[in-house]
Amino acid sequence: MDEISKPIEESVAVTDEHDTQKGKYMTFKSGEEYYGLKIQYVNEIIGFQEITPVPETEDYIMGLINLRGKIIPVIDVHKRFNQEPFEYDDRTCIIVVDVKSTVVGLIVEKIAEVVEIQEENILPPPSISRVDRGQNKYVYGIGKVGDTVKLLLDPERLLNDEEPPAAERTNELMVEGE
Amino acid sequence: MADEFNTEGMLDMYLFENEQLLEQLQEMVLDQKDAECFDEDSINEIFRTMHTIKGSSGIMMFDNITAISHKLEDVFFYLRESHPDNVPHLELVEHVLEVEDFITGEMEKIKSGQATDGDPSEIIADLDQFLNKIQNSGEENEAKDLPQNVHEEPKQFYIAPVASSDSRFYKINVIFFQETEMANVHAYKVVYALKEIAEDILYSPEDIIADESSAQTIIEKGFRILLQAQASEEEVRNIIGVGYDIERVDIYECHAEEFLQGFDFGETSIDLDSSVEEIEAKKEGKKEEKKENAIAPGDYVIKPKEPGKPKKLVKDKAKSDKATFISVNVNKMDMLMDLIGELVISESVVMQNPDLKVPGLDLTNFNKAATQMAKISTDLQNVIMSMRMVPLTNTFQKMNRIVFDVSRKLGKDIDFEMVGENTEVDKNIIEHISDPLMHLVRNAVDHGIETDEERKATGKREKGKVTLSAKTEAGKVWISVTDNGKGLERDKILAKARKQGILEDGKPDSAYTDKEVYQFITLPGFSTNEQVTEYSGRGVGMDVVVQNIQAIGGMLEIESKPGEGSTMSLKIPLTLAIVDGVVLETGTSSFVVETGLVKEFVSVREDMMIHEPTGDEFVMLRGECFPVLRLGDWYGLKDYQQSVEDGMMVVLELDGKTICMFVDKLIGKQEIVVKPIPSYIKKVRGISGCTQLGDGSIALILDPSGFIE
Repeated sequence: MDEISKPIEESVAVTDEHDTQKGKYMTFKSGEEYYGLKIQYVNEIIGFQEITPVPETEDYIMGLINLRGKIIPVIDVHKRFNQEPFEYDDRTCIIVVDVKSTVVGLIVEKIAEVVEIQEENILPPPSISRVDRGQNKYVYGIGKVGDTVKLLLDPERLLNDEEPPAAERTNELMVEGE
Repeated sequence: MADEFNTEGMLDMYLFENEQLLEQLQEMVLDQKDAECFDEDSINEIFRTMHTIKGSSGIMMFDNITAISHKLEDVFFYLRESHPDNVPHLELVEHVLEVEDFITGEMEKIKSGQATDGDPSEIIADLDQFLNKIQNSGEENEAKDLPQNVHEEPKQFYIAPVASSDSRFYKINVIFFQETEMANVHAYKVVYALKEIAEDILYSPEDIIADESSAQTIIEKGFRILLQAQASEEEVRNIIGVGYDIERVDIYECHAEEFLQGFDFGETSIDLDSSVEEIEAKKEGKKEEKKENAIAPGDYVIKPKEPGKPKKLVKDKAKSDKATFISVNVNKMDMLMDLIGELVISESVVMQNPDLKVPGLDLTNFNKAATQMAKISTDLQNVIMSMRMVPLTNTFQKMNRIVFDVSRKLGKDIDFEMVGENTEVDKNIIEHISDPLMHLVRNAVDHGIETDEERKATGKREKGKVTLSAKTEAGKVWISVTDNGKGLERDKILAKARKQGILEDGKPDSAYTDKEVYQFITLPGFSTNEQVTEYSGRGVGMDVVVQNIQAIGGMLEIESKPGEGSTMSLKIPLTLAIVDGVVLETGTSSFVVETGLVKEFVSVREDMMIHEPTGDEFVMLRGECFPVLRLGDWYGLKDYQQSVEDGMMVVLELDGKTICMFVDKLIGKQEIVVKPIPSYIKKVRGISGCTQLGDGSIALILDPSGFIE
């Protein structure tokens, strides 16, 4: 009986969650701008903890942390956006996100708040200029909250480079060629 | 099939139980395949197993399984009752295995959601014939009193597992609501529940499983049960009382005599004679059995194979282990493992809490308690580690079956020996080695061992023999399949390799070592066997074996002597999860290297170093020169020791090569739980995983094979 009733409860909970989570964004500050992440992706926010560096990785991958027995990679959002690196201190936070079952910690300078942004207040990103700033390819929209704007991030693009799949492909080709 | 009522949970239970029963059955049968006949215990056990399978299959309405298990039950009923002494034992063994295969096959179908459409009639006919044969010859030999109802379902045989003076007897009448549908199934549920506690149980109407009209009878007259159990009335009531369909349960406690008289509160008179006999016989049998246990005739376990070994003891132990097994979802185990990891961390947080460092604090009692807790958490860790370890026994038993089948089909007379089947291996690994092992065993029987004629022709006296052995050595498990057959034919393999263009042009045959030559047979599409047999020779196989083994970090070694046989050894890691490692530190990072790879630790002086102009470094140790790898350099770490005199050389040996790894310092040796590097981080050369150290920090696990390239 338990087994039958459980999934139902869970699914109810999930839909509830979706309803309350809809249109909500976790915002944080990186450099001069505020960024927003759909709250569904956010697992939790943890305080800064010791990071074990992993050699030979991209520079924005800071290493591994131990999240209650689960080992997850952490990336520095500043470095990811090619912004000036910042000093970590006790108040630096790590946002743990779960994107399609990949759990990754994001080190951000400052956590702001959770805001609600209606669909109609989200505009597509300006297509011209500032490509050199680097973070534009991760932004899928600009959300207006009162007088301020939040850059809304596509977490999948944030975590995964376009480059690696291409590199993998060439690798495969090389293997086949051998 | 059974779509009238929800069978979800029941089906899982059914499959699980029957799988275990069949596994035990097969083990028992194969164990005694070389004996003269089955001993009494086994006959009872097989009878009981078939009876259980019949019962549960009946309720799940898998008619073909019911039919076939019923038939085999009949055969063993006869064997048990009349002890015929001219049973062709091997034929019987084959019949049992045939039935087992059939049921296993059907259960596979059930699992994959197909209909159980297998036709058992052929096997049943065979069994009938076999039964007739042994019955007739039995009657000729001696006019034994045969039970008349051999072909009928022996319903009243519920073998009392224990009968003791503490037993209490109950008459139970269960009244179902009038509107209850399929009351017979509900009644069976009651019986099923009661069996848990029952020492003996009888019920009326009897045929509640197969006879659907019994549902009517049950509703009209109630369902009557005679129960012998050690439980109190209250307990019995609780067991029965879990159902919404039961209107009333009447329970009367009665005396043994009354109990044996049967259902005096019903019109249906049941012949209880056999049951009375059964109870008495069982009681007497118990005493006899005890005596017999020591010197049971035909007890095959004391075999001359391994003289001097107390094998009997081991087997008994294995038996009792089996009874206490439960199956647990591996995910839950992983969760538990993570939780314990967390516990260890929070423990160290408590122990090293700054609040404790206040000067002048008396911590005597705290420390006492803390030590005790540390001990418990260490134990906890050890237990969870050991829970993942499973003996190879079951895997080996499967191989036993394969040798039996293949050798009989090929007409080869082959002994099969298992050594070290109690070796424990991580559960994940067992899943991966079963298939490769099967291939190797099949190959050994099919190709390795010659036919009897060939053996005679070459003057070999002893029987063909396949040995399956397992041992642990240096953190690895070695599983070997050895045969005393003809061995690999080097010339043939070379010729074939030449033909397939694998050999380098211009390199003479003699330039290849035996090892190299034998490795050719692991290449895809390579088979020297001209004839494709049912079992092997298609040229696929060895390459798959090697692939599967490599996937879990193992390797295959082949040894062979022409005319004397060959040995295929799998060398696989003991576990994928736990490694005995040495923790090292370089710069600010911790690393772990598998203890098995470490040959020694050396402190070296600057004058022992040799610097090449290219930047390569070597170190002279006892007159030998080894390449040096500075871990800090290799990974571009910060703040590591530059001078060799301040650090430590770790001498690593793998695949016959030796390298010296230079690190800052050694931390210690400990068992570590291997966790994969999150897939988000792409593969780093020389790092195979990561682990959590006792203080909660993370260390990277080094895989020195990544350094040697």
